[in-house]
Amino acid sequence: MRGLQTDQAGPRLDPGAGEKFRDELQRIGIDDSSASPTVFYLASGILWLLIGSFAGAVASFKLHLPEWLGNEATLTFGRLRPVHLNTVTYGWISLAGCGMIVWLMGRLCRTQIRWAGLLYLSALLWNLGLLLGSVLVLAGYDAGMEWLEFPLPAAALIAAAFVLFAVSMFRTFVARQVEHVYVSLWYILASMTWFPVLYVIANAGLYQGVGEAAMNWWYGHNAITVWFTPIGLAGAYYFIPKVIGRPIYSYYLGLLGFWSFALFYNWNGLHHLVGGPLPTWAISVSIVASLMMFVPVLAVAVNHHMTALGHLRIVSYSPTLRFVVFGAMSYTAVSFQGSLEATRTIQEVVHFTHYTIGHAHLGMYAFVSMILFGAIYYILPRLAKWEWPYPTLIKMHFWLSAVGVAIYFLALTIGGWVQGLELNTPSIPFVDVVRSTIPYLWARSIGGTLMTAGHCVFAYHCALIIYRAGPRRFAPAWFRRAEEAAAE
Amino acid sequence: MTLLPAAILILAVAVAGAAFALSAFLWALRTHQFSVKHMNEGAFVIFDKTDRLGEPTDQIFKKPAPDPDERTAD
Repeated sequence: MRGLQTDQAGPRLDPGAGEKFRDELQRIGIDDSSASPTVFYLASGILWLLIGSFAGAVASFKLHLPEWLGNEATLTFGRLRPVHLNTVTYGWISLAGCGMIVWLMGRLCRTQIRWAGLLYLSALLWNLGLLLGSVLVLAGYDAGMEWLEFPLPAAALIAAAFVLFAVSMFRTFVARQVEHVYVSLWYILASMTWFPVLYVIANAGLYQGVGEAAMNWWYGHNAITVWFTPIGLAGAYYFIPKVIGRPIYSYYLGLLGFWSFALFYNWNGLHHLVGGPLPTWAISVSIVASLMMFVPVLAVAVNHHMTALGHLRIVSYSPTLRFVVFGAMSYTAVSFQGSLEATRTIQEVVHFTHYTIGHAHLGMYAFVSMILFGAIYYILPRLAKWEWPYPTLIKMHFWLSAVGVAIYFLALTIGGWVQGLELNTPSIPFVDVVRSTIPYLWARSIGGTLMTAGHCVFAYHCALIIYRAGPRRFAPAWFRRAEEAAAE
Repeated sequence: MTLLPAAILILAVAVAGAAFALSAFLWALRTHQFSVKHMNEGAFVIFDKTDRLGEPTDQIFKKPAPDPDERTAD
């Protein structure tokens, strides 16, 4: 037993061992209090990841094989694509993000989760909302705005679920046993204040015409700003230093990054409407704010990369760190790309092209989803008290996801740019522009299929650990032995 | 909903949101979240007393095994 020493006087405890035992017991109690709701959220999220992935893969193939499954209205692109978007964002990322947040709140507040009953109700309502929304969209009842396709009854269920979740988390925060609010908590608490307001206002149906378009992209971009990005950054700020065993490079930069993020990011949405029928000043303000995003992004990038630098050998064997560092690097890439993409010069080429879809997947998948995968690889063994049975499956998942999203992103970035240049050339007939995108769309489908295969592997492995099935390991589920990495 | 009530509603929400953000910032100042002490010690909040600084924490079952792929049945 750690802390217990034996000498001629008999067994005795190390000085300070009692405190360490109390600390360990407290942590076990905290993890136990968050275990059931966390697993409920994570399992639901993974189920929606599978549903969303298959919907996305089928929708992708239909872009270059338009007659495939074309006789069934339910399976047309116009219905499958919104189901993909909504199930992976409000299903996978949101529910898995809630699971990660519940676990992090316990750890960072050093207290047991309060009002956990609200969390079960929240997860239940959230799943019902997703199911209802998906069925209604497949049946043709689409609300007609990107990111807001779910009809009002489904959106109302999700909004109520989010409020219940936020109430429990704020109650836990109030009961915290730690005076200091760690930077991950700032992102989490801010997102739980911002997102319900945003989601309710956007679904309230207050606007018509041009105002509706402005609201649509104010919402679309801010959903990323106030919910999905904070999930990813909160995870990165916790798991990178935690796994490495060293604090983040600069805590000052961490807080500067958060407050500048809060100041600049929410103005960004209208850059989606460059060239649209809105006042020029409104779009210009949005473009300036997009460029100001270099401040928080650089703060986060320097912090994450300098923390990981010098510990890259851990990336070679730690599954959590490999996924999270991949996500953190993608955050830097997608943010730089997004700020430049907001300018009128770039928009002249990439607007209305596949380039934007590649950018969106770099953010929502290569950044947020990869961090969530890494978080789940860290959290589930601690909750199930069971190590991942097959490190090979984790390796397969990583490479299928990483190669898949790389193919997807590169194909749509190059294809979208070519498409934009051709669209700007009046002498090229529109149908020829469409034909020229087909090889890139095939590459997109191949990338999407690889990611979907990775998700199947991941879901199977998660099911094994949740049910504590498969061979029991007593050694860490690493890609290779730490000693081998250290010897290089 | 016509433009005026919608604008009033949005303005009210915006003012409430800004007031909330300001109050959060002031609360952080009042509780010394940005003090030198917090800045120097805050980054260590994620570590438990049983964590050793400089040692990776990405393992919970520490019984040594000769090979990472070697598995032991229950």
